[in-house]
Amino acid sequence: MPTDPIFDPAAIQQWANDLGIAAFMQSPWGWPLVEVFHFIGLCLLFGAVGMFDLRMLGVARGVSLRQLHRLIPFGVAGFATSVFTGFLFVVTAPDQYLYNPALQTKLALMGLAGVNMVMFYATAARRVSATGPDDLPPMRARLFAVVSLACWLGVIACGRVITAFRPPWNWCLWC
Amino acid sequence: MIGLLAAIEQWPLSIWMREDPYAYFVALIFHAFGMALLVGAGIVISLRVLGVGKGPDLHRLRGFVAVMWVGAVLAIVSGLLLLSAYPAKALTNPVFAVKLASLLAAALLVRSMAATTLSAAPRDPQPSARSRVLAALALALWLIGVAAGKLLLHTYTVLTVS
Repeated sequence: MPTDPIFDPAAIQQWANDLGIAAFMQSPWGWPLVEVFHFIGLCLLFGAVGMFDLRMLGVARGVSLRQLHRLIPFGVAGFATSVFTGFLFVVTAPDQYLYNPALQTKLALMGLAGVNMVMFYATAARRVSATGPDDLPPMRARLFAVVSLACWLGVIACGRVITAFRPPWNWCLWC
Repeated sequence: MIGLLAAIEQWPLSIWMREDPYAYFVALIFHAFGMALLVGAGIVISLRVLGVGKGPDLHRLRGFVAVMWVGAVLAIVSGLLLLSAYPAKALTNPVFAVKLASLLAAALLVRSMAATTLSAAPRDPQPSARSRVLAALALALWLIGVAAGKLLLHTYTVLTVS
C-alpha cells in the first residue's frame, strides 16, 4: 500500500470523530440533512452564476447584466454552503472521497471555475457591466461564460457519480 | 397497486435502466442538469420579483421561463427513466408526492408571475406586496422540492425487484 504524502485519512477521520462531526453525520438525520443543504447551496450557486452566464450568451436578452449581477451574493452564499457541507462529507469518510476520481475531477473543475472567475473579473467585468440590456457582451466575456457553465455542469455531473466509485488506494494520483 | 408497479419493473426499458452499467448514472446526471436549469431559473425570477436587483428590465425576466421549460423537459424525461427502474421505490414514498407537488406549485406560481407581475412591469416596475409574497412562496417551494428530492434516497420503504 503506497503512503499518501499529503493527506492522512486516518488522522482526518480521528479529527472528525473527536469533534463529534462523524457522530452527527452518522446519526439518522445527519447525512440526509447535510445533503439537503449541499443541494440547496448548489441550486443558489447555479441559479445566480449559471443564469448570469446564460444571459451573457444571449439567453433572456433584455435583462440587464448589471441588475442580474445583484443576485451573485446569493450564489456566493450557496457556494459557501456547499463547500462547508461538502467538507463534512469528506472528513467523515476521507478514504472514500480523497481517492475518488469523481471527486478529484470535481475539485479540479471547481479550481478551473475559480481561475476563470478571477480572469473574468480582472479582464471583462467592467465592459460587461457597461453592456446594454439588449446587447451581447464582448466575445471575451462570452468565452468566460462558456467555461463557467461547462465547469459548473461538470461539477454537478461529477458530484452525482461520486457514489459510483469505491476508491482503492491506487486512485491516489499524488502517492 | 404494488402488482402494477412490479409489472412495470419487468419492462425491457426498466430492466435495461437497472442492468446497464451507465444508463442509471447518465439519467441521474441529466436529471441534475434539468433540475439545475429549472430551479436555477425559477430562483432567479423569484428573487428578482421579491425585490433583489430592482430595475426597469424586470418584465424581460420572462426570457428565463424558456430556460425553466428546457430544464423541466430534461428533468421529466430523465425522471421518468429513473422512475421506470424502481417504480415502487418512489411511488410508494409520500416524500415523492411532496417533491412533485412543491415543484409543480413553484413552477405554476412563476408562470402566473410571468403572466401578471412581469407583464405589468414596464408600466409598473415595482411588484405589488402580493406579488412579493407569492415570489417568497415560490422560492420556498423550489427549495422544499429540492430538499424532498434529496431525501427520497433516505426515506423509501419499498424497493421490490429481487
